[in-house]
Amino acid sequence: MIMIVILLPILAGMLVPLIPFKKRSHMEIFLEALVILNSLLVWYMLLHRAESIFTLANFTGNLSISFKVDGMSMVFAGLVSALWPFATLYAFEYMTKEEHEKVFFMFYTMTYGVTLGISLAANLLTMYFFYELLTLVTVPLVMHTLTREAILASRKYLYYSLGGAAFAFIGLIFVIIYGSTTNFVLGGVLDAEKIGDRTNVLLLIYVIAFMGFGVKAAICPFNSWLPDAGVAPTPVTALLHAVAVVKSGAFAIIRLTYYSFGTDFLKGTWAQNVVMAITMFTIVYGCSRAVKETHLKRRLAYSTISNLSYILFGVTIMTPLGLIGALSHLVFHAVMKISSFFCAGAIMHQTDRQYVHELDGLGYKMPCVFGVFTVSAFALMGVPGLSGFVSKWNLAFAAVESGNVLAYGGIGCLLISALLTAIYMLTIVVRAFFPGKDFDAGTLKGITDPNWKMLLPLFVFTLFIVLFGLHSAPVIKFFGDVAAGIY
Amino acid sequence: MQYIILAIFFPIAAGLYLLIRKESENRKNLLLCTGAFLIISAVLVVIALFLAGGRMYTLFSLTDKLPIIFKIDEISVLFSVMTIIIFLCAGFFSFEYMKHEEKEKRYYGFYLMVLGVLIALCFAGNLITFYLFFEMLTLSSMPLVLHNGSREAIMAGLKYLFYSLCGAYMALFGLYFVERYGNTLTFSAGGVISEQAASAHGGILLLVAFLMLLGFGVKAGMFPMHAWLPAAHPVAPAPASAVLSAVIVKAGVLAIIRVVYYIFGSSFLKGTWVQTTWMILILLTIFMGSMLAYREPVMKKRLAYSTISQLSYILFGLAVMDAGSVTGGLLHVLCHGFIKAALFLCAGAIIYMTGKTRVEEFRGIGKEMPLLLWCYTIVSLGLIGIPPTGGFISKWYLAQGALSSGIPVFDWLGPVILLVSALLTAGYLLPVTIKGFFPGADYDYNSLRKKEPPALMTIPVLILTILSVAIGLFPGTVVQYLSQMIEKII
Amino acid sequence: MDFVQSFPAISILLCLFAGIISSGLKGKAARYMNTVLILTVTVLSACTLLYTLGTGESYVYVMGKFPAPWGNEIRVGVLESFMALFFCIIMLLSLFGGMKKLTEEVEEGKVFLYYVLTNLLLSSLLALIYTNDLFTAYVFVEINTIAACGLIMIRQNGRTIEAAARYMIMSLLGSGMLLMGICMLYDLTGHLLMSNISEQVALLAASGEYRIPLLVTIALMSVGLAIKSALFPFHAWLPDAYGYSTVSSAAILSSLVSKGYIFLLIKIIYRVIGFEIFDNSRIIDVLFVFGLMGMIFGSLSAIKENDIRRMIAYSSVAQIGYIYMGIGMGTAAGMSASVFHILSHAATKSLLFIAAIGLTDVSGGSRKFVDLTGAAYRNKWAGVAFTVGSLSMVGVPLFSGFISKLLFAQAAVQNNGKMLPALIVLGISTILNAIYFMKTVIRIYTPANGTGSCVTFRSMKLYAVTLVCFIVLNIILGVSSQPVVDLIEQGLAMFS
Repeated sequence: MIMIVILLPILAGMLVPLIPFKKRSHMEIFLEALVILNSLLVWYMLLHRAESIFTLANFTGNLSISFKVDGMSMVFAGLVSALWPFATLYAFEYMTKEEHEKVFFMFYTMTYGVTLGISLAANLLTMYFFYELLTLVTVPLVMHTLTREAILASRKYLYYSLGGAAFAFIGLIFVIIYGSTTNFVLGGVLDAEKIGDRTNVLLLIYVIAFMGFGVKAAICPFNSWLPDAGVAPTPVTALLHAVAVVKSGAFAIIRLTYYSFGTDFLKGTWAQNVVMAITMFTIVYGCSRAVKETHLKRRLAYSTISNLSYILFGVTIMTPLGLIGALSHLVFHAVMKISSFFCAGAIMHQTDRQYVHELDGLGYKMPCVFGVFTVSAFALMGVPGLSGFVSKWNLAFAAVESGNVLAYGGIGCLLISALLTAIYMLTIVVRAFFPGKDFDAGTLKGITDPNWKMLLPLFVFTLFIVLFGLHSAPVIKFFGDVAAGIY
Repeated sequence: MQYIILAIFFPIAAGLYLLIRKESENRKNLLLCTGAFLIISAVLVVIALFLAGGRMYTLFSLTDKLPIIFKIDEISVLFSVMTIIIFLCAGFFSFEYMKHEEKEKRYYGFYLMVLGVLIALCFAGNLITFYLFFEMLTLSSMPLVLHNGSREAIMAGLKYLFYSLCGAYMALFGLYFVERYGNTLTFSAGGVISEQAASAHGGILLLVAFLMLLGFGVKAGMFPMHAWLPAAHPVAPAPASAVLSAVIVKAGVLAIIRVVYYIFGSSFLKGTWVQTTWMILILLTIFMGSMLAYREPVMKKRLAYSTISQLSYILFGLAVMDAGSVTGGLLHVLCHGFIKAALFLCAGAIIYMTGKTRVEEFRGIGKEMPLLLWCYTIVSLGLIGIPPTGGFISKWYLAQGALSSGIPVFDWLGPVILLVSALLTAGYLLPVTIKGFFPGADYDYNSLRKKEPPALMTIPVLILTILSVAIGLFPGTVVQYLSQMIEKII
Repeated sequence: MDFVQSFPAISILLCLFAGIISSGLKGKAARYMNTVLILTVTVLSACTLLYTLGTGESYVYVMGKFPAPWGNEIRVGVLESFMALFFCIIMLLSLFGGMKKLTEEVEEGKVFLYYVLTNLLLSSLLALIYTNDLFTAYVFVEINTIAACGLIMIRQNGRTIEAAARYMIMSLLGSGMLLMGICMLYDLTGHLLMSNISEQVALLAASGEYRIPLLVTIALMSVGLAIKSALFPFHAWLPDAYGYSTVSSAAILSSLVSKGYIFLLIKIIYRVIGFEIFDNSRIIDVLFVFGLMGMIFGSLSAIKENDIRRMIAYSSVAQIGYIYMGIGMGTAAGMSASVFHILSHAATKSLLFIAAIGLTDVSGGSRKFVDLTGAAYRNKWAGVAFTVGSLSMVGVPLFSGFISKLLFAQAAVQNNGKMLPALIVLGISTILNAIYFMKTVIRIYTPANGTGSCVTFRSMKLYAVTLVCFIVLNIILGVSSQPVVDLIEQGLAMFS
């Protein structure tokens, strides 16, 4: 079952360029059906999950490629499989303006399988394997337009990601050597006897591995690839660089922290303080850059940088509550950010405008898109009643509860960032809806909302933002169970 | 339950309806609609006050620990009554005033939404509900500020937005800690911080209390985060300025009442560095607001500065934490609400009729519109604090409370500053009256034309004036009502 | 004595004779002869491997029935026979891959010479692998050098001759040092057979006599072989030699010749000096440091390079650095990681060289990166192969490079002192590898404006099949590495 859901999109994706579709719509139907089918399979599998570990192959020794559905996998795989069909639908419409669609959809669909692979991996090695694979299948998507800019961006993306993985790899080795098992176990697998007096070395390695995986999650010194990768077509930026890829980084860090090194080992050490300080800095840094940025997608990308560090901040609190906060932001931010990116994509698709100062008055021409954008902006700011507030609440709650003074400072960072978020998101909203007195509406003639393929995903995401915001208790309870190791 | 829900969500829904409804040419239709909505909302609120008072209602839970709770207590009554009266007056005033502005539909839409949100703030039963609607208030009132769409207005709107959010986030910071160390987030008279928590985590709790005061103080124009107010209030259309200055800023006051008396409890804060620092800030604000108003030539800006100063009167009353002073503060909430609304409406009427905005242009205006300027003069006297108007009573209580509080230095410094500020108030409000009625010898009486504004404008002003005087003449019931409540919370 | 036991000796002799015979044959006949020969040797090695695996222990085969210390011995274990097998496969594939290019670049009349040289090279490699006698080793080192020189020079233009001369000088320097080392050992111990020497060395070390001479000997032999296998500061000859010779030569040189010397060094460490004694000498740290420096500087030079062949050549410098780092770690784990990397690098580097030639061919023969733009679309097979090779070099899971990286890192963790530098340099070097390989991959997949000639499968069947074989080999090493690793460990255990 696990292999099917992982391999189906990968193989089907590879087939796309080989099948001679008569019409474009045939390809659309084929892919959409496939993606929906796979998502259904994933959900079925998650709901009827098997406890056992499925081993595909053995590398050396006790290192194997194996899969298992545990709580974390349920969260991430569920999230990814819920978002993918919508994103694919959106992509069909968006890609009408771009070239080499087939290649695009090939890699786009393959990425689905690879992301599922990350989420379902049962040990660090398997996750690492899919993690590297993810980089490789997404690079063609980044360089899709093949402009000089895109190629430079994809190169940068590749170097950063592979480099990060190289350092994460060091962590992997240590877990293999010092762990009692390589499988993920909530609470960590390190063997105290094997460690002996080498605690500090291991902490150092943890920090190194954190930074390594953190490259994908765009933590501060290693974040510059993310805004650059925004040259990719918007469905990619939205789904991959706001959800799948960057969240894999965060996901990997959760696996590393909670399931491999273990919070008992890390909590209260200098390593925790170091990584927490880094995430706190990134939170504020990302927002500040977003405020300065005038390109719409780059602005959102910087916002992603900051929001990813929210998740990591939750992770570095290293309590079950922190994990709940991190997970809730992982899921909620995915929905919020994909929604706002899709809006940006819809704007680009309908008007070819990319800069914030070009958006004056568009709110009246594209009310649906900007309505959705406004909701996601409010959600990102953390207005109560929308999902962003709930996750922020959980993060802050965990920080307060932890009693760690540095975490108190982190709450401050969260709130500063919320203010900056308001600045960079609401200036867009205000521009769009209140263009000012001397604005000439004639320049916007002929601009309308996009068609249903783009709007449907937007509305669904908005619905989820509101739904999670108003009634998050069941979801949060589920995260709580995950953090408590019930699943 | 359903009454409260109706009272809150009917105006919001009505506002949304106005926003998304088609732009129609028929202005009358729109006004009828809006008028009906306003009156229905008012009736709903009154019904809710009578039928749903005292009990607590849980709407639903954001998370398992964060219920949305509504409860009507005395404070809610006080604030919601004031809100409704001023909104009705300013609403009808704007039917006339908004003739010379564009995009009326949007204006009324947000106007109604703000009303609903304010009612919700009054009825909020716990801190999280309060915070929710506090944010909504900022977001829904911003369009009122930047309504006319000039560059200045948009910048002012954004400034308002970001200052308010900044304040809200400071408060949110505190909220997290209150959630942790308090027994509950539900407002309960006397505070929710247990003895044990207070002694174990006193330091951090005091810090977050201060942050919350500062944060909510942003909305109440407290120094040092007051800069948005003189920018934002004057650029809005006059009736919007009236509600902004008279009611919306009171949301900040309401927030501080809730935080000080219903969350932390006065016994926890009394005599701490928080109280002292807060009082210093307040007294600074009072003096500074009056001085700035005194020097300001543009009428609406002058009134905005005056708001800064007057709001801090209220805060001073709250900060002293003495029964008398709190009574004074709450009385001043009412008085200042009516008076400032009346003042802004007057200023709006003058702008509407003559287009004059600066004080020195107001020469002879009393001759042109005597009724309006009489109203203006009466409420000005009230704000200065001359008996028998409401302002006198509230200031009396304020000063008396401060003197009897026994806080060193502030027990005499406070009243002194109040006095100085009252003088300054006279200095910045009365010149209008003087110039208006006594234009001087060289005034050209021939060009004089009666320009009394239409009834839709004068009647709201008149009502507000009468109310402000009435409080001064018959303070007994109100004071009694207030002191009953204050006994509970102190 | 089983008949199988004589297979190694037979294959060495076969190669020598084949070399002599092919000198009298025409080009095509020589080619057939050579192919048949390598296939035969492959089969023979495979038999030997199976035999040793079956018996589970190594054996000594005495040539010409003279007993030690005069005789000439061959020692065969699991690792030796596996190496021989693997080298044969790589050599065969490398020759196939470069066959077409060979006919273009080498004069018609000299083709047979090429095969003569390959035969000699193979024989010398086999001898280096199998021999149990230091002096025989030296002799075959020389044969190897000469054959390698010939392989470089066979494509006659100015640069190859210059490169061959350089190679010659450096190599001879290396073999000179090796010879001096052997002489000194002979002086100290009075033996030339490895097993005898090692007994004496152990005695010497235990008694504490001749400490300095022993150290000098170790140093001479290590450095001599390091020069010959192009360890970092001694790598100056390499880029030209690999970069300009015909592609089969480059592949064979980079993946086999230098590896043969490294294998000899490992053998000397285990069989002559003794692992313990080597571990205690300072030389091991020197090798370690040079290895680390090679990893960094080799990659840095590769990044600066603007010529795809030379870039791959510089990458070899870095990879040899990896191997020496593993040796320098001084643990059994490090050693087996090194041996595995010998295999993995052999499989990958020849793949890269052969893929690169396919790419340059469709780009008008130019090796500049600018001209390579879009080459992967013009020659799809080479494009894919180059990508696979690059990914393996960068250490992406599924490919052999990942496993060697994994083994190196695991070995590093077990060594307290050298752990951090090794791990950090591993990390940095991965990033550097990623930079130059991925840059190239992106470059060849960027569509070019000008339309170059596209190559069809029909016109390069052999080439494509070779590439596929290489890719499969690479993936086999990457996916089911466990048997290979077991084999290596078993083989290393047999050494001592």
